[in-house]
Amino acid sequence: MDPSAANNPELLRFLNEEEQRVMMNEAVAKLTSVCWDKCLTSAPGSKFSPSEYSCLTHCAKRYADMSMVIIRSTQSKK
Amino acid sequence: MDSYSSSSPPMGASPSPEALMEQIQAQLAEAYAKELIETMREKCFDKCITKPGSSLSSGESSCVSRCVDRYLEATGIISRSLFSQQRH
Repeated sequence: MDPSAANNPELLRFLNEEEQRVMMNEAVAKLTSVCWDKCLTSAPGSKFSPSEYSCLTHCAKRYADMSMVIIRSTQSKK
Repeated sequence: MDSYSSSSPPMGASPSPEALMEQIQAQLAEAYAKELIETMREKCFDKCITKPGSSLSSGESSCVSRCVDRYLEATGIISRSLFSQQRH
């Protein structure tokens, strides 16, 4: 069986899936880093405080909202 | 990529697609783990070792241990918040 991706649809599908997975992992990693810095104001405890937990659960979505605002506002300033 | 050690094919033969996929997944998983560990090093040093002394105190050690747990938990929270279909 020819293992080169060009002739192997299964391998091609696999590579696309892995690429998607890597991109998703990278997005999560970056946002976790940003949100950790934003939300944890003191040394880590044995669990998150209610405010830390709340901050973390909102952080990623608010970051995405903010991205949209930036994109829209740069488009309108042409 | 270097040699395909996971399933040694005979000299001159190409690795099977299955072996190739396995190797790719293993390398990606390893790269992911390395990056996560490096990030936790930075975050936990920052939060827990505020003033490096002549050795790691037990307080600093337990802080680092909690830090790793919390960082992994935070990763899960962010991941679910980005990729689950639930409303927030």
